[in-house]
Amino acid sequence: MKKQIALALAAAMSVGMLAGCGGGAASSTAGAASEAASTGSSGGSGSLTISWWGGDSRHAAYQEAIKAFTEETGVTVEPSYGAWSGWEEAKSTALAAGQGEDVMQVNWNWLYQYSGEGQSFADLNEFADIIDLSQFPQSALDACTVAGELQAIPVAMTGRTFYWNMNTYKAAGIETAPASYEDLIAAGKAFQEKLGDEYYPLCVGPYDRMIMMTFWLESNYGKAWVENKTCNYTVEEITEGMNFIKSLEDNHVIPTMENYYGAGFDSIDKSTQWIDGQYAGIFEWDSSANKYNDALADNSGFTVGEEIKWGDKANGGFAKVSMGLAITETCKDKESAAKLINFLLNEEKGASIMGTECGMVSSAAGQAAAEAAGKVKPLVKQANDIVMGFVDFQLDPDYESSKLKGSDGIYTDAFDGFSYGDYTAEEAAEILLDGVNGVLASA
Amino acid sequence: MSAPAKSQPVTRTPFKRWCDENTGLFFLIPWIIGFLVFKAYPFASSLFYSFTDMNFFKGIHQYGIMNYISIFTDRKTTTALMITFKYAFITVPLKLVFALFIAYILNFKIKFVNLFRTVYYIPSILGGSVAIAVLWRALFKDTGIINTLLGFFGIQGPNWLADRNWALFVICLLRVWQFGSAMVLFLAALKGVPADLYEAATIDGASKTKQFFSITVPMITPVIFYNLVTQIAQAFQEFNGPYIITQGGPRNATTLVALLVYNYAFQSNEMGMACALAWVMFVIVMILTIIAFTSQKHWVYYSD
Repeated sequence: MKKQIALALAAAMSVGMLAGCGGGAASSTAGAASEAASTGSSGGSGSLTISWWGGDSRHAAYQEAIKAFTEETGVTVEPSYGAWSGWEEAKSTALAAGQGEDVMQVNWNWLYQYSGEGQSFADLNEFADIIDLSQFPQSALDACTVAGELQAIPVAMTGRTFYWNMNTYKAAGIETAPASYEDLIAAGKAFQEKLGDEYYPLCVGPYDRMIMMTFWLESNYGKAWVENKTCNYTVEEITEGMNFIKSLEDNHVIPTMENYYGAGFDSIDKSTQWIDGQYAGIFEWDSSANKYNDALADNSGFTVGEEIKWGDKANGGFAKVSMGLAITETCKDKESAAKLINFLLNEEKGASIMGTECGMVSSAAGQAAAEAAGKVKPLVKQANDIVMGFVDFQLDPDYESSKLKGSDGIYTDAFDGFSYGDYTAEEAAEILLDGVNGVLASA
Repeated sequence: MSAPAKSQPVTRTPFKRWCDENTGLFFLIPWIIGFLVFKAYPFASSLFYSFTDMNFFKGIHQYGIMNYISIFTDRKTTTALMITFKYAFITVPLKLVFALFIAYILNFKIKFVNLFRTVYYIPSILGGSVAIAVLWRALFKDTGIINTLLGFFGIQGPNWLADRNWALFVICLLRVWQFGSAMVLFLAALKGVPADLYEAATIDGASKTKQFFSITVPMITPVIFYNLVTQIAQAFQEFNGPYIITQGGPRNATTLVALLVYNYAFQSNEMGMACALAWVMFVIVMILTIIAFTSQKHWVYYSD
């Protein structure tokens, strides 16, 4: 008898456990269905999930905007958000497992890297009756069209420019922000002589070096870094670019990579060197202006710098889609997801809350709403105007492939190896070119 | 008077008999399901994927041993393997010696001994956490507390996090600092050494050092052996320290195999390569464990 009771209990436990595996989904579906019924959402679940990366102010803006969306539509939106560090790894794994959020803030290259055949994100052309695509520049929409499908709505266009801490420059006896290579070299000498070895006019990490070298090459040779899946540069030309970076190190314009890593910071804006003014310049995305301004202990000298024209063949440099909003293929209620995207980017209420938290918005209606609400941050607009008025090349999406810009990627290997003295300029250029060609070939 | 009724023979159906004999299996079902789904299947599938060029988003296009060839010919992986061996051979002995040394001291009857035991054990609880790794970076950055302290003595500290040799030392130090769990096991073992052995040795005139090496160490060799095997396995799987403190840098000087597996799997989505590298790591740990087990008959003393 005892055995039979034990057997029954064990069987009940097993059944309970198995039921537990599937029961959650069933009950949540039922819950969602009743919610949908109560909200009147046609054919949808009445609830969505959304994910984004960013800083505190972006988190706050998104949360306020999705609250307003819920109030307006009755569709609940569950957010998940965090800092950029480790975000791509987590989200790419989620996408691969079919566990991506319904609406995802995506980096531009994700469309090519994780949905090259349209397998991860929905074609938003199918929701053109919900999302007003006419508000976006066609070139930006084209950039987000992969495998013939519009896989994301471009939130903003972005590019790199310089930000200077003029308080430190003035302490070094320099009154105007650098506008040329010669100015930078002179600043390096002045910083070292008047302020000491730990003061630098500019600080750039390995990926920043790659972008800066690309600007330099494009300006000096008048051709894009990559066109039609082919790198336009030879080893000899890239070697010159490498030597340009080395000249900045040698003239105390930028810290060596050994000094950079020795400082032990996560990102430059969180370093005491930037906060206290020892690093007096950075080369960053236009959307980051406020982040770097706010980080300074004394930001009275923070200045958005003009782009530097390194050569005479072209301005050089590139703009790219900074990020997009995409709907995953696994989303059960794509119509509501499309409404959410339109709300955040095009509609007056949503766009005025979002402002320029994700950069200068691409949507004409969104930008007008943000301006009317006084939510356009002047520094971001200033930086964006400078970048967009200067750069003359588009970026190839594979430029940001994780195989190239990852922590153990090709860019890090080439620029760190060169700075540490492991490679000559030619060797570093060869490694870089081989790596880029490898990624382009496998794309 | 009627005769007492004869009891009826118990007849059981084959199914009922099978159920009676295998009741235990039903209790094990939850565990078996968990084992099959979360252990056996990933284990077997990772072996399969290690012979493919599996990519999360591109699928499988090639089968063969190309990943294993790459592992033993590619500079990045061979360097990671060498650094991992170096890391294990530095940290495992240092941690064991340090843990035994502290346990030996804490085995004496001293004031506040329980407080000291707790304090020394705390790093083992906190050691693997992100917060400690961040603290470690703050301690060892070029303007950090360590170099500031060295500066008081007129010593110019090295660039700990950016110098290839010192960066690995910083990562090793974090692991050695987490000696608490090994220490607790040693402490328990030390308490189990019979006091009469020490009394006899003292009567015979043996010094404390002689007693330690001739009585204490042989008596606790089973625990030394256990700690050795577990510490080797843990050292080869170290991930948190290099990931958070140095991200494998500078110049891959702290890229241990576990970090490289992560990079292959989640940064560049080369799941086939990640699986192959994980299997190589598994085989290495298994070989070292077999060596340890084979050698124990020569140096491990089981009193019973």
